[in-house]
Amino acid sequence: MNAAGTIRRGFVQRMRRRAMLAIALVTVSGPVGSAGAQDLAVVSQQGARVSRIAAGAVRAALAVTASPAVVAADASGRLYISHPDGHAITVVAPDGSARHLPFAGQAFGLAVEPDGRAIYVGDWSGNRVVRIAPSDGAVEGEVAVGRDPAHLTLGEDGRLYVAERESRSVGVIDTRRMVRVAALSVGDGPFALAYDPIRRRLYVANVRSNDMTVIDTAGGRILATVPAGPSPYGVAVSADGARIVVTDQHAASVSVINADALSITATVPVGKYPEGVVIRGDRAYVANWFSDDIAIVDLTSLTTVGRIPVAEGPRSIVAVPPAAAASTLAGRATPGIAR
Amino acid sequence: MRRTVPALLFVLAAGAALAHGPTPQKVDQTVTIHANPDAVWKVVGPFGGIGAWHPDVAKVEATGGDAEGGVRKVTLKKGGTLVEGLDEWKGPEHTYSYRMSDPDLKALPVSSYSATLTVTPDGDGSKVEWMGRFYRGDTGNEPLEELSDAAGREAMNRYFADGLKGLKAKVEGGATQ
Repeated sequence: MNAAGTIRRGFVQRMRRRAMLAIALVTVSGPVGSAGAQDLAVVSQQGARVSRIAAGAVRAALAVTASPAVVAADASGRLYISHPDGHAITVVAPDGSARHLPFAGQAFGLAVEPDGRAIYVGDWSGNRVVRIAPSDGAVEGEVAVGRDPAHLTLGEDGRLYVAERESRSVGVIDTRRMVRVAALSVGDGPFALAYDPIRRRLYVANVRSNDMTVIDTAGGRILATVPAGPSPYGVAVSADGARIVVTDQHAASVSVINADALSITATVPVGKYPEGVVIRGDRAYVANWFSDDIAIVDLTSLTTVGRIPVAEGPRSIVAVPPAAAASTLAGRATPGIAR
Repeated sequence: MRRTVPALLFVLAAGAALAHGPTPQKVDQTVTIHANPDAVWKVVGPFGGIGAWHPDVAKVEATGGDAEGGVRKVTLKKGGTLVEGLDEWKGPEHTYSYRMSDPDLKALPVSSYSATLTVTPDGDGSKVEWMGRFYRGDTGNEPLEELSDAAGREAMNRYFADGLKGLKAKVEGGATQ
């Protein structure tokens, strides 16, 4: 074994030991080795857990403050979790240690700069987006947005997009100045967002109009509105930009959409009340809020090929660097990961 | 304490329109019925027919039939009206899904919900599952106890459980006559 491998293995062992001490509750099941290219982190709202998934199984589950909602990650594998009822953001380090940042509002949507230098928080009932410092939660800036800001996502050139659920719009924020520089009218009840840097598009899942708005972010205009299933609550785009997956919350399915044709190519049954979704390679991972599991959807065969049980009420899911490699990624800004 | 609740809910009802909080809650009730799924579906399937089996329901006005877009206005015996719209109605599969249009905190202390009712075979009889997702009555950060997640869970589970009890009595009572 080479030096780097030895160091990495040492890190893993150290991490595991520290995790056992730092984490209030740890469950380990299934294979612990072969992490694969990416791990996943899932937040369960009623269960108040963040679960780490690798190689198709839950490796660890960390108890967090009550009613966590959204999870985001930076390039180093640090996790950020919002607590709408708890006036707080939890920050979980790759070694499993957690700390709380205060938030004076109803924290829901989250976006984090890949290098972890700034956290953007949507204040649901405060109708604003706040930039806070990762060190202590100090407010660094804020901007008024449309009503009931839901999910946030970072684009390019310092742009931050906000789904303004009750204003039927997507707000565009220049994060350097914390100014809302534009707003685009979308469908009814915009909730989830996914940004594709290849086509420079923003995909918007509209909960009440049962469709997805496609925004050309370079041109600042609406490209198309694509019908989806009942209550689209989550959206993800593949790394190559070719496929989009939308969760149809009221149909217990996902719609797979072709990015060129902008039409549904398949509807795949998953669990009950699917919400968050992330795509890694040829697979989509879907958080089934009611079924308390993650559906693994094979995007080639267009079938659900597995279900991973997690704590009650999984809502939000994000890709993170594998735990074993987290230390080697620290400080390297990988734009794809913070989304 | 209990006696003060209805008045309080009534006062607060006006402020909650279109509120969708960030923390959804589950409601899930099931019942087994000694009758085959077709017989159960005949009673429970018609969207506007809830008044025939739910003991808490005083009156129903239904429009649009058993199809997407169908609406039922359900007036409860204790007061308050639930306006519910069909998202999906699948007769052959014995299931329908619907969601609340406008909150009425006097009827149920929740600001919005969606729900699905499904009849499946269970041995010689049937199992009926009535489940859904809802948001508490006050979706702000500091809800009153009467409009909290816990109050919503209690009210929604009770409403669904009462309904399924009534459905079971209606179907099984009819079968033995």
